[in-house]
Amino acid sequence: MPTIPLSPRVPRPRIRWRRSVDKLTAPQLAHVREAYTGIQAIGDDRGYQHHAGVHGLPLPIYCQHTIGQQFANLFLPWHRAYLYFFERALRDRVPTLAQPWWDWTAPAPTNAAIPSAYADRQAGGAANPLYSVRINAQAMNQAKQSGINLPPTTRRQPGLPGTALPTADEVAQLLAIGDYFTFSNQLEDLHGAVHVYVGGDTGHMSQVPLAAYDPIFWAHHAMIDRIWRMWQLRHPSPSFTADYLNTALPPFSLTVAQTLDVGAMGYDYAAGTTSVRVSG
Amino acid sequence: MDRYVSDQIELPFTEGGPPFTRADLIFGGVDHSGASFEARVFFNNPDADERTPTEAEHGYAGRFVVFGHGGCAGEEGHCDVPPDQNASDDLRLPHPLTPATKPVVVTDAFKRLTEARVTITVVPVLPGADGPRREDVLFFESVELTTYV
Repeated sequence: MPTIPLSPRVPRPRIRWRRSVDKLTAPQLAHVREAYTGIQAIGDDRGYQHHAGVHGLPLPIYCQHTIGQQFANLFLPWHRAYLYFFERALRDRVPTLAQPWWDWTAPAPTNAAIPSAYADRQAGGAANPLYSVRINAQAMNQAKQSGINLPPTTRRQPGLPGTALPTADEVAQLLAIGDYFTFSNQLEDLHGAVHVYVGGDTGHMSQVPLAAYDPIFWAHHAMIDRIWRMWQLRHPSPSFTADYLNTALPPFSLTVAQTLDVGAMGYDYAAGTTSVRVSG
Repeated sequence: MDRYVSDQIELPFTEGGPPFTRADLIFGGVDHSGASFEARVFFNNPDADERTPTEAEHGYAGRFVVFGHGGCAGEEGHCDVPPDQNASDDLRLPHPLTPATKPVVVTDAFKRLTEARVTITVVPVLPGADGPRREDVLFFESVELTTYV
């Protein structure tokens, strides 16, 4: 009788749970703010300005959005890698941190649907690091050159006429789509609608080159990544070409294939978590 | 353009033709180098504008969103899209401003059509404090109606 070799044990990283921002406990939200405050105080390539600038200005603009059909659609894997590296930088400040996600399908009745964690100007007697950020002069100079005349401190104009947040029904319809690239295209459209909803006419979230400087950008993209994760659970075996899987995602040291398993990246999604320490 | 209205387009499938489970309008060559906006698509409503309700009775079929780059931050030529990015020896990622393809799923609206011809209207809608606005921000090269069995 042939023996079946046991699979070698592949160590899996400890899972960090990305939680809904509306369901964070007070200590969890305080940790998020501590991490953002810490990273915003750093001026080198560990800091907030560096990470926000990777998406847009200062040049080069690295973010990947869907373009022509003849080119690989890298929207979802590139932004997953982006969020991963940003979250790792946050965890260098607060080791237990996981980036929260903003469920924009369940808008709060106040603050024009922006979660209070992000809408409050002050938190704990200090400026709320999730409310706004001052953008570096190099990025602002290049933005001005391109014709974007926005102030150097991020602002939002949520809920203007002509904008709407996606609904839970729209997300449910997306999750039923079987083809990955169709799903990605449709999800990217919902993603764009949220950018325009938050940024409005004169807010930074409406502009690709400056959007990532707004702290709510990261919670929005965590929601996008979460929807992709839910889609992956429903459609576990999509067919990808080797070329697609081997595509690099600059400036990150990851390929598309390396972004497909969030467990291997050390995180997953939960609505909320709580824990108790057992001593003895 | 600040609004696109097609000529009357003959539908590929008329009554009694092959069934379909999904219909897409595929917009090709969509420019995303400028402002961000929502492009609303209407069937057989050539007068649709930024204030037209997004409801079936007004011919609303769906939307796509352009998340725009807001202009060119580089020097002269920086934002010119190279003409031959598909060359087999060019392993760089494509230029970020390469025009986009935007599919809009219009199955329900397509099924509601009762005539063998359709007019497609596309309205770019920008947010505005005094109400939705329309500007000269919509540029695309083609639109194709595709049905799937």
